[in-house]
Amino acid sequence: MLLVLSEEYKEHLAFLPKVDPAVVFEFGRIAVEFLKRGINSKVYEGAARKLGFPITTVQHGVEGLMFLLTESSKLMISDIDFKDSVMVLGFSTELNEILLQLYVENHSTIRSTLTQLAPSLPSYHNLEWRLDVQLGSRSMRQQVVPMVTMLLHLTTGNSDNRRCCLQTNPSTLLHLIAVLEAALASMKNNHARRILRNIK
Amino acid sequence: MELSDSVQKGLQSIADPSLFDLKSFTVLIDIAFRSLLSAHADHGILADPVLEHIERVLVKQCHAAATTCILEMVKQNADKSTISSCLEDLPFDAERIEIFFKSYQNHKEELEGVLASLGSQLPHINDVSWRLQYHMKNGHVHKVNEPFYLLSLNVENGGLEGSAKDINFSCTVEQLQDLVGKMKDAAKSLEKATQM
Repeated sequence: MLLVLSEEYKEHLAFLPKVDPAVVFEFGRIAVEFLKRGINSKVYEGAARKLGFPITTVQHGVEGLMFLLTESSKLMISDIDFKDSVMVLGFSTELNEILLQLYVENHSTIRSTLTQLAPSLPSYHNLEWRLDVQLGSRSMRQQVVPMVTMLLHLTTGNSDNRRCCLQTNPSTLLHLIAVLEAALASMKNNHARRILRNIK
Repeated sequence: MELSDSVQKGLQSIADPSLFDLKSFTVLIDIAFRSLLSAHADHGILADPVLEHIERVLVKQCHAAATTCILEMVKQNADKSTISSCLEDLPFDAERIEIFFKSYQNHKEELEGVLASLGSQLPHINDVSWRLQYHMKNGHVHKVNEPFYLLSLNVENGGLEGSAKDINFSCTVEQLQDLVGKMKDAAKSLEKATQM
């Protein structure tokens, strides 16, 4: 699968061959850094002053590289496809190699960053449990009621975790285990295996 | 067993053969137990023809006293000797104590269930439902291709007004294995604990 790059995009990156490959490499490093930690516009000013380019040119260059890296990481294109996609930009072989190296080194980190952006439900983090026996209450002095108290830790997307304190009785616990074991077993049946094998 | 003055007074009236003959006594005690066990007490429960000749206010007082006394006995898990000595003091005669105790024995277990279910509780899991999904891609990342589960715990008494509310969350296959493993640990410990 090849990347489709617009004319406007090509214009934005057109200044890269005019500078030293080391500078392109530096731009690439900055692009990766920005993807990890967010954009810091002061860096653009400094680089523009040093190189004698307008700030917008530098900004377009770095953000163009960021786009190139995120798009190719998103689609998870192969090294060869990446090379072929970049070819359209008409850069030198050395530049293309630098870009490829940048992609190969960073695509997994970029993907994990992108994964966090996807909407998600609260997800399971941990379960703590303890066994309790209720011995008495205000309305009933002598009881022996066995109970399982559980603390369910859930992680929600935006780092605020949720904890649910829950209780159940022993027979329901056994029922829950049976139901969830059936759920795990369904991963191994032919239907699920066929789907997992064929959708790649 | 301590009973308040108004309850004692009511019970004394019940014990008095000039106010309640044996038949109306039996009916009143029966009504007292039944009214505690029916979820939505019938307003006309005291309108029994046997009790018609007795003054309404007195019947109500006695009914309230009997139910209070019964609840207190169940709450304390009172045995026969405690009940007997308590009722003798009022004074109930032997025949009435016997009638009362028989009814008490018949309904005790059910009443215990009612009393044990009262009071505050943590949200209680009743059931779980699951769904297996295959995450293929999203707007930010393609070729994710990971199976995952959506679990929904059916929880009672979860909301403020005691309504059922589900807890929904997702987990990967490994996380579900972890969850089941921990639940199995709990079940194993539970089994061990019951064998002690």
